[in-house]
Amino acid sequence: MISFSEIASSVHQWLNSHLSPAWVLTVEMVIVGVAAIALFALLGLVLVIMERKVAAYMQIRLGPNRVGPKGMLQSTADTVKLLVKEGITPAGADKFMFNLAPFIAMITAMLLLAPLGFAKDFQIWDLNIGVLYVTAVSSLSVIAILMAGWSSNNKYSLLGAMRSGAQIVSYELSAGLAIMTIVVLTGSLQLSEIVESQRNGWWIFKGHLPALIAFVIFIIAVTAETNRAPFDLAEAESELTAGFHTEYSGMKFALFFLAEYINVFTVCAIGATLFLGGWMPFHIGNWEGFNHVMDYIPSSIWFFGKTFFLIFVIMWFRWTFPRLRIDQLLDLEWKYLLPISMFNIILVTVIAIYHLHG
Amino acid sequence: MNGSTIVFYLLGLMSIVSAVLSVTSRQIFRSAIYLLFTLIGIAGLYFWMDYQFIAAVQIVVYVGGIAVLIIFSIFLTQQSGEQLPEVPVSRAVAGAIAVMSGLALVLVLMDRYGFSGLSDPGPAPSVAAIGEKMLDINGYALPFEVVSILLLAAMVGCIVIAMRKKSQV
Amino acid sequence: MFIVDYIKSIYGAMKSMGTGMKRTAYYFTHHKEIITEQYPDNRDTLVLPERFRGEVVMTHTEQNEHRCTGCTACELACPNGTIKIVTKFDISPEGKKKKAVDKFIYHLELCTMCNLCIEACPTNAIKMAQSFEHSVFDRSQLTKVLNQPGSKLEEGVE
Repeated sequence: MISFSEIASSVHQWLNSHLSPAWVLTVEMVIVGVAAIALFALLGLVLVIMERKVAAYMQIRLGPNRVGPKGMLQSTADTVKLLVKEGITPAGADKFMFNLAPFIAMITAMLLLAPLGFAKDFQIWDLNIGVLYVTAVSSLSVIAILMAGWSSNNKYSLLGAMRSGAQIVSYELSAGLAIMTIVVLTGSLQLSEIVESQRNGWWIFKGHLPALIAFVIFIIAVTAETNRAPFDLAEAESELTAGFHTEYSGMKFALFFLAEYINVFTVCAIGATLFLGGWMPFHIGNWEGFNHVMDYIPSSIWFFGKTFFLIFVIMWFRWTFPRLRIDQLLDLEWKYLLPISMFNIILVTVIAIYHLHG
Repeated sequence: MNGSTIVFYLLGLMSIVSAVLSVTSRQIFRSAIYLLFTLIGIAGLYFWMDYQFIAAVQIVVYVGGIAVLIIFSIFLTQQSGEQLPEVPVSRAVAGAIAVMSGLALVLVLMDRYGFSGLSDPGPAPSVAAIGEKMLDINGYALPFEVVSILLLAAMVGCIVIAMRKKSQV
Repeated sequence: MFIVDYIKSIYGAMKSMGTGMKRTAYYFTHHKEIITEQYPDNRDTLVLPERFRGEVVMTHTEQNEHRCTGCTACELACPNGTIKIVTKFDISPEGKKKKAVDKFIYHLELCTMCNLCIEACPTNAIKMAQSFEHSVFDRSQLTKVLNQPGSKLEEGVE
């Protein structure tokens, strides 16, 4: 069976036999870059149409159904529209910052792609601090929002940026603590090792109650961190007229929009890696027959399946719950999520010390 | 000159240029953003040296924490959108002298000791090694624990303040 | 007890979140519930609700008879002057003069479909129709005369 890792290694060998090592590295970097951009474009198209369809079915509507079969080309048409639109910079804006902000948002989203294990032995950069890297880089995404909000010279944008800043800074704590529980159980920050540690069962199953609590907290916290409903106060259409991207139009708006969806994908991929075993197939104990059948499904399908399941859950949240008020939002974090996750981490430490996990 | 050197000079250039811009910019928000780029450039240098843990900590603490705090306080400041007043000549001269003396110090040190560099810097310490050193009684156990208690106290304090009932205020 | 209340509030939140998500999941999996009308594709099969108000029409029998006596109750009931009734005097067979409707003028462009004229009508002469495709190129086309030319009052309607 063809796997991503085999393709990667054969490309590597072919390049090595034809070029000098320095050129191999350059060419491989270019290939990775192009692949990342292609993945971005594809994910943007897929996630937007998925969001709209999920939203429609949850609200007993049909959703887009005019462009292409069942409306599946709608997001492509929208992209073309955004590409040809004029990107206006407001007269009172800080022009340099205003035009820089969408690119910062995009670069941050791209950097987060590096440590993800898309399939068995298929990873751009297997850092030994993978999880910490993800936490670190995702804290950069707030910079783009703050820059956009400030430089737009618009009170709604500024308010949106401030809300988003307060939200991301506080929810990072509980997201970090939720990630820490898995790090405590695994004893490693490297994402490939975390996946490997789940060979005999995903953490959500063998980590007992603390892993489950951590998973719930993680999902809630990352929903808030990616500024999605019910925590979308930063863009709150009905009160802030889209918040920090009020003044953006055309492709610059599209970059923010794309970055949001890529961030959703990345955090869901991290969640899938930490709690649902990354590309590890689903195994039940010693049931050999069942396990063999599961092994036949390619690892990339397992990874993307789990990630898209989590994305669906986050979309499900979005189209079920109404938006929180800012004080309710901070209440939820400081009164509930943070104390619970602190107790949770004590619990999980006890489990890890006495080796109660499988 | 190989690729690694080019990357080093690019990162160094980014840090220095944005550092200079940060002190010369007349808009305080821009200064903060340039400061942030300087810090990112330094984190990039750590990555370049393969000290990934320190690089990530640099980003978490300085970029994600301190820079965001600075930007927040700028947002909350009155009239922060206006241009800063022109720097008086006396202060500019004093600043120049301070910079020059700092530079002179560095140059003297470089002249005396040179850039010998370690013949074999050895592999970057793993996270596990750092952790063991932190909790080693002969290592940094005491400062580490003191800092941890401080941070824990801060976090508990936040929760206590947040959970206080309205009537008690 | 503080801690009991705390856990209770978490449990309550989880439960109500579950209720909400169960509902949306039900809709997500039950496509039969979809209420979207594919207008104008389904123009031929479109079924409007019984109480939908499209415009005011006057009912006429096959003998081109209507039930309007020209009492102007609808004109008085209309809040925004949509209806204007021009009356005339018919000569009855006994030679008596009798007031009757000459032109029932209805300004569709002013009408808010409030249904007050229909409620006010003592003889059930007018009703709400379900037609709703009212766009025209000239607004003068929206001023309509509801009684058909040559129509007369139905026998026995006073």
